[in-house]
Amino acid sequence: MTFRKFAFNNVVRNKRLYAAYFFSSLFTVMVFFTFAIFSFHPSLSGDAMNSSVNQGMLVSAGIIYVFSFFFVLYSMSFFLQSRKKEFGVLMIQGMSMKQIRKMVFLENMLIGLFATLGGIFLGFIFSKGILLLAEYVLIIENSLYFYFPSQAMVLTFVSFVILFFFISLFVSYVLRSKKLIELIKGDKRSKGEPRANLFIAIVTVILLAVGYGVALMVEGLTVLAVMTPVIIVVIIGTYFLFTQVSVYVINKLRKQESIFWFKTNMILFSDLSFRMKDNARTFFLVAIVSTVAFSAIGTLFGFQAFVTSSAKINNPTTFKYAASIAHEYDEKEVELINKTLHDNNIKANEEQTILRYHPIANDRILIANESEFNRFAKLIGEESIDVPDGQMYVVEYEGVSFGQTDELLKETVELSSGVTLKPNDVIYSQALPATDSYYVVSDHDYDILPNTTDEEYFHAWQATDGEERVLEVAKTLNESMAWNKFSSREFQVYDVKRSYGPIMFVGLFIGIVFFVSAGSFLYFRLYMDVDDDKHKFKSIAKMGLSEKEMRKVITRQTAILFFAPIVVALAHGAVALTALSHMFYYNLFTESVSVLSVFFTIQIMYFFIVRFYYTKQIKTVVQ
Amino acid sequence: MLAISIIITDQILWEDLKGDLVMLNVKQVSKIYEGKMAYRALTDINLMIEDGEFVGIMGPSGSGKTTLLNIIATIDEPTTGEILINGSNPHSLKKEELAKFRRRELGFVFQEFNLLHTLTVEENIVLPLTLDGKRVKEMKEKAYAIAEKIGIKEIMNKRTFEISGGQAQRAAVARAMIHTPKLLLADEPTGNLDSKSSKDVMEMLESINKIEQTTMMLVTHDPQAASYCNRVVFIRDGKFYSEIHRGDNRQAFFQRIIDTLSLMGGHAHDFSQIRV
Repeated sequence: MTFRKFAFNNVVRNKRLYAAYFFSSLFTVMVFFTFAIFSFHPSLSGDAMNSSVNQGMLVSAGIIYVFSFFFVLYSMSFFLQSRKKEFGVLMIQGMSMKQIRKMVFLENMLIGLFATLGGIFLGFIFSKGILLLAEYVLIIENSLYFYFPSQAMVLTFVSFVILFFFISLFVSYVLRSKKLIELIKGDKRSKGEPRANLFIAIVTVILLAVGYGVALMVEGLTVLAVMTPVIIVVIIGTYFLFTQVSVYVINKLRKQESIFWFKTNMILFSDLSFRMKDNARTFFLVAIVSTVAFSAIGTLFGFQAFVTSSAKINNPTTFKYAASIAHEYDEKEVELINKTLHDNNIKANEEQTILRYHPIANDRILIANESEFNRFAKLIGEESIDVPDGQMYVVEYEGVSFGQTDELLKETVELSSGVTLKPNDVIYSQALPATDSYYVVSDHDYDILPNTTDEEYFHAWQATDGEERVLEVAKTLNESMAWNKFSSREFQVYDVKRSYGPIMFVGLFIGIVFFVSAGSFLYFRLYMDVDDDKHKFKSIAKMGLSEKEMRKVITRQTAILFFAPIVVALAHGAVALTALSHMFYYNLFTESVSVLSVFFTIQIMYFFIVRFYYTKQIKTVVQ
Repeated sequence: MLAISIIITDQILWEDLKGDLVMLNVKQVSKIYEGKMAYRALTDINLMIEDGEFVGIMGPSGSGKTTLLNIIATIDEPTTGEILINGSNPHSLKKEELAKFRRRELGFVFQEFNLLHTLTVEENIVLPLTLDGKRVKEMKEKAYAIAEKIGIKEIMNKRTFEISGGQAQRAAVARAMIHTPKLLLADEPTGNLDSKSSKDVMEMLESINKIEQTTMMLVTHDPQAASYCNRVVFIRDGKFYSEIHRGDNRQAFFQRIIDTLSLMGGHAHDFSQIRV
């Protein structure tokens, strides 16, 4: 057995220990590679997408790379910590620090090489799926065909070989100045409980309360202003929540003998406080990383919902055609629309009218009559209104208004009969396509209005059948008509989603990377203690702990580890998304709840999987 | 690299030629653990072990036996005083040299065996030589020679979790002996073994001591195990208490050990704690 063979055997025969580190490395490589496949795709790097998107992709790849570096580094230091005892034994047998470094370096390069190759291989297998997904999310017209991603492969391989090389060098730092006695007793020594201080605990609660309070109360652009201080306060609060408040609570519980000495609680809580110092840091890290993931993805979905809904608000009907009579109106275009609808077997209700603008207060203001307003209101399912003669209403566009409603309320309109109309109320409606506010008068008064400055032809269609073909029709019609005349709701929504797609994709990617890494941290934390737990349950089982009770303890222990930080992250995420919705004055409740519950569901599934394997591990020694 | 190792080997040879009869010399060693409550584990310990001697260290729990062994084993450092092993002070060596010193001059046997479970028995045994970069052929020959002597030839290709405690401890002894160390240190080697395996291991150590003339130091709770030594040193509260020498009769020596232990106030059957 030569030294190299020894290092090799040490890895190959200790798969479980290395597995966690290997798979998190593999996953990291895979994520980076799929991202690279995507950003190097010929149809994206060409003219199909503008260079700013490409730039964005590169920056995102950079972020993923930097994050990967720290993630792999963290995984490795965890992995090395769990092997203290082994290093101690080796050093007693006469292994020098130099040889340990050499061994860990070789191991790391071995793991790194296989993780890189494996990650590229898996990424390659999944690449078609990823490209299809990207096509769907990004809404790219010319499809992302499968290609051989040689550029992405080279980039990933080189980047990660370099990354693993530097991380391997870092080993000497992690293992520095470790005394042999500490190494050999490494497994058994507790890092101890952090001391809990009531004062800090109270300050923590206040910090979090203030952070949350401010985040929930402010509105509009103030949200941006308070964002950074709130984030800092909440991060500090979270840190002390896990290092102080949790310890304080556990210590209080320990003193409550009726709780602490109740059945299996003693095993559970004693372990919790024993591992609290290690756990607290993991909890903090996981909570923050998950919060970033939740907030990023929540924000993206929320923002998408926000812009899509604006597109829908601006287009209450399936199609609309508006053109000034004097300059733009072309009868043939309306015929073309009707013909195309007919050819594509799309049935639609339609209304048309001529909108008249009047010079009022140095502006051109639309005045509509009651019956035309009601026709269009009916088309989009709004209630009709009743305007008596001699009366006038101001209509403000419902949803997005650039209206001078207040100004219009002050103005009057003089009819040719000499009667002066004064607006007496405001109506909110989307019936007519004016984002500026306008007046509506009775049909009788309308006929005796003074002369108009200009007239606009307006035609709206609301599809009742064949909606699935609407988008295609809109695309063809768009080609033959100016964008300011013809517009389609489906196409507007589609267009928003398309222009928003790349950001969405990048954000989703990064969010998922963060979330999965958080899961990985938890896994490492759990498996650091697996040998301790084996010993513990082995001894307790001898005293008469049934398998059912053992499962219960493991379940609770794992549940606390998995859900304590996630619940905190969910709360943070919910507050962050609420603040965001206050900033846009747009209700993000549905989006927030769905994003957060998807994450929570994934976490629950992850919990059950890990618990299953952990219990199985423990059961191997408890018979 | 090669040049350095030759120089070190020469130095050790030169030390050998001096023909110093004292293998281990512990001079005025004290150990204080710093911390919230400073704790004095050892006070002015003096101990001399001659070449080829087999010495047992006994004392009640917390008397400082293991601390002493750890200091001699270079696992821990003395607060004051010095240790000379074969005339040189390992604590003054640089890290790299200390590693070489351990792998060439010292052998260790632990209560919990400390075999690496990733390796087979054979691989565990040759580990000190592997670390020293010896040739595979030489390692194999030595491993089989020692396995033959110790009687674990059949389990050489097994992994550590496939063998019994007694076999594991014998493998650990083989590992400690393969590089023919000057000094073999054993910390409660029978602590995790049943009485039959304990007897086997102790008889094996005794015979290695006789045939190979390896100097041995054994820390134990177990009077039965201690009775295999030439001499037993008792310490209490970190201080030297007394020592007794074995005559021709092991059974009588065993009785005297028990008497001394009762006199010290420790219990005669203060069995080693099993650390779980």
